[in-house]
Amino acid sequence: MSFRTLLIGAALSGVSLTAQVTEKQLREAQAGNWLHYNGSYDSRRHSALNQIHTGNVDALVPRWIFRVPGATTLQTVPIVVDGVMYVTQPNEVYAIDARSGRKIWEYHRVPARLKGPNRGVAVWMDKVYFTTPDAHLIALNAATGNVIWESKIAEASDGYWSPAAPLVVKGKVLAGIAPGDHGLNGFLDAYDATTGERLWRFHSIPRPGEPGSETWSGDSWKSAGGNTWLTGSYDPELNLLYWGIGNPAPDFNGDVRLGDNLYTECVVALDLDTGKLKWYFQFTPHDTMDWDAVEIPVLVDAPYKGKIWKLMAHADRNGFYYLLDRVTGKFLHGVPFVKKLNWASGLTPEGRPIRVPGIEPTLKGTVVCPAAAGAANWQSPAYSPATGLFYVVAQEGCGLANKSTETFRPGGFQYRATGDVNLRDESWKVYVRALDLTTGQLRWESERTGSTGLGGGLLSTAGGLLFSGEQNGQFVGLDAKSGETLWHFYTGQQISAQPITYTINGKQHVAIAAGADILSFALFEFKGPTK
Amino acid sequence: MQSLVLSFALAGAFACGAQPKKPTNPLGDSPQVAEAGQQLYNRTCTGCHGPDGGEGERAPSLDANRRYFRVSEAAIFEVVKNGIPGTAMPSTNLPDTEIWKIVAFIRNVRATASDLVVAGDVRNGMLVFRGEGGCVRCHMIRGQGGLLGPDLSSIGAQLPLKKLHETLTKPRPIPIGFRPVTVTNLQGETISGVARNADGFSLQVLDAKGKLHLLDTKELRTVNYAKESLMPHNFDRTLNGEQYRDLVAMLAVQARTKVRAPLQGENEAGR
Repeated sequence: MSFRTLLIGAALSGVSLTAQVTEKQLREAQAGNWLHYNGSYDSRRHSALNQIHTGNVDALVPRWIFRVPGATTLQTVPIVVDGVMYVTQPNEVYAIDARSGRKIWEYHRVPARLKGPNRGVAVWMDKVYFTTPDAHLIALNAATGNVIWESKIAEASDGYWSPAAPLVVKGKVLAGIAPGDHGLNGFLDAYDATTGERLWRFHSIPRPGEPGSETWSGDSWKSAGGNTWLTGSYDPELNLLYWGIGNPAPDFNGDVRLGDNLYTECVVALDLDTGKLKWYFQFTPHDTMDWDAVEIPVLVDAPYKGKIWKLMAHADRNGFYYLLDRVTGKFLHGVPFVKKLNWASGLTPEGRPIRVPGIEPTLKGTVVCPAAAGAANWQSPAYSPATGLFYVVAQEGCGLANKSTETFRPGGFQYRATGDVNLRDESWKVYVRALDLTTGQLRWESERTGSTGLGGGLLSTAGGLLFSGEQNGQFVGLDAKSGETLWHFYTGQQISAQPITYTINGKQHVAIAAGADILSFALFEFKGPTK
Repeated sequence: MQSLVLSFALAGAFACGAQPKKPTNPLGDSPQVAEAGQQLYNRTCTGCHGPDGGEGERAPSLDANRRYFRVSEAAIFEVVKNGIPGTAMPSTNLPDTEIWKIVAFIRNVRATASDLVVAGDVRNGMLVFRGEGGCVRCHMIRGQGGLLGPDLSSIGAQLPLKKLHETLTKPRPIPIGFRPVTVTNLQGETISGVARNADGFSLQVLDAKGKLHLLDTKELRTVNYAKESLMPHNFDRTLNGEQYRDLVAMLAVQARTKVRAPLQGENEAGR
């Protein structure tokens, strides 16, 4: 039988049997694959894989390196489905054989726009979804990279782009937008995963007459920011999405937008089916420090004050760690997770910051801590049910913050009304911190010595390990209980992404993007003399 | 790769008319202008070049099958007007208007299929693609179709019309990533498909059902590559004249990404 007869005959038999990622798989997020940006709908970034553990992590060695052509500092989080890994950079998706590192296919958006970063893909059935610098959502065939559909999220000529990895839930693709620093109003969209049709849009800035519009003075709501440039979480029982909303615009001059400026600096809980707002909680009312509240909401069911609660934990860029009731949005508890915090003296019983007068950007310049770069940022946190600890990359640093009277210009121009100068001296430090989930108390910390920026995020495993990618290029494995460094590998490049773990033929691997490369590690196996 | 992407983007911007700073054809690029240019070309240039842009006794062909460093209208105009020093290509004293007509013709000769008006019923061509032609089993257009062959959503913007005909009627080399292969593993199981990628140690095979097989060569007993492409090359015989014409017309308009592939050597001058 000829190749042609054999192959085309088989193709004739109809329905494609390409690897299908079902809704059940996405919900269960079983170890072996890595199906979501943050590992699972609850965004814990905790894997049940335990082959690599505190007792053998010393034998962890690189298995392969894939260089992403033209990349500089990747922020992509690899997604792995049945041995195929998907990584991205702006305009591009690569499918890699996750056992060998060999490329299977690549997709290039044409024409390419040079807006970055890109943080990765989402998967569902036989499709791979990603967003682009020209603010489109693209669906590709997972086996070949063929374009299945593309939908415009927003007008790129207005200044919009889209860097976040989408989230797919029940056949809906949730896609966010950037930036909030250009005075462009944000939203979160849901698209039909099969057809690309837009199903709903949640506007993160209320229009006149809508609830929350009273928190914007005058016409300030028109160029107000509030974007959605990271990926959110989902609770299947409540059918609620939890999404962090970015800063108000202009970032550093609040005088032109008096009020709390809802729903900027909030986490919003949205009904998956309709996109309707169920509740919101605002971390930084009337922010003037660009403290986007997009940091990942981590969903945990755990005992708190004598009963099991559906909790949401969130370490905010503003320096406070928050515990919310994710059914109602009620504030339960909050404490600082950094020492360099001068803008608020604490939180009220409702969770509202008690501001210290005068600690905000001024024409002359004021020292504000944390700096605008944040006590936390896009570096994903992790939660381990084994230790009960919430792990966060924490930055101790202040900024000299200025404001100006800059006005809005349409066309994608910056609308920050100035910013802050990072006061980087020897006291500027970055740590991995382990917080007690319910009290927020510091249990241990591990300094990222030599890092002057946040770097990459975290991965917790059932092997008792916490993997951490540092800005200085070190990829380290910490003891999740104590913070002791058990393993490290110097990648030679800045790490700005979060690690993942997966299996190939039952063998655990750990992978991360470092600089322009994707690296995959597994335990060294000596198979006897070579000859 | 990013530079390649960027050059695609620039080429796209140029093709869309967003970019050009150099003079472009003041007569436009209508079929009438190109036709007038063809007549002029056949009268004045065929002493050396072949008729209709083909290969001549003393000068090469001007169609899209060779490598060019002069691609833009301005560059072609310049060379027709002033000749190429050190070669038999002379300058001309034809008026500029006449030269621009020749430029329009030469651009037309090199155009991709989607740049041209190709006769045929596009809607019927899609029916042929999905039915009698059997193309849809292996090829996809705009998200619909098979995976074994290349996606054709932009084929009209990638190939000149002449090459489009050739792919349907003549044996062609196997495109990279589409070589048919059959392997057997150590357990004696057989997998057939196209080798999307291979090196000395691993092989990635896409089978006819769209499933990827990620293989380690150590785990394979045999690897047999086919010598010929899966692509049939007798559509001018298996389809009737009308069906063939309509299929070509349909493929010619496929330009999801409205940027042609760069002509070989384009943007590489000076390396």
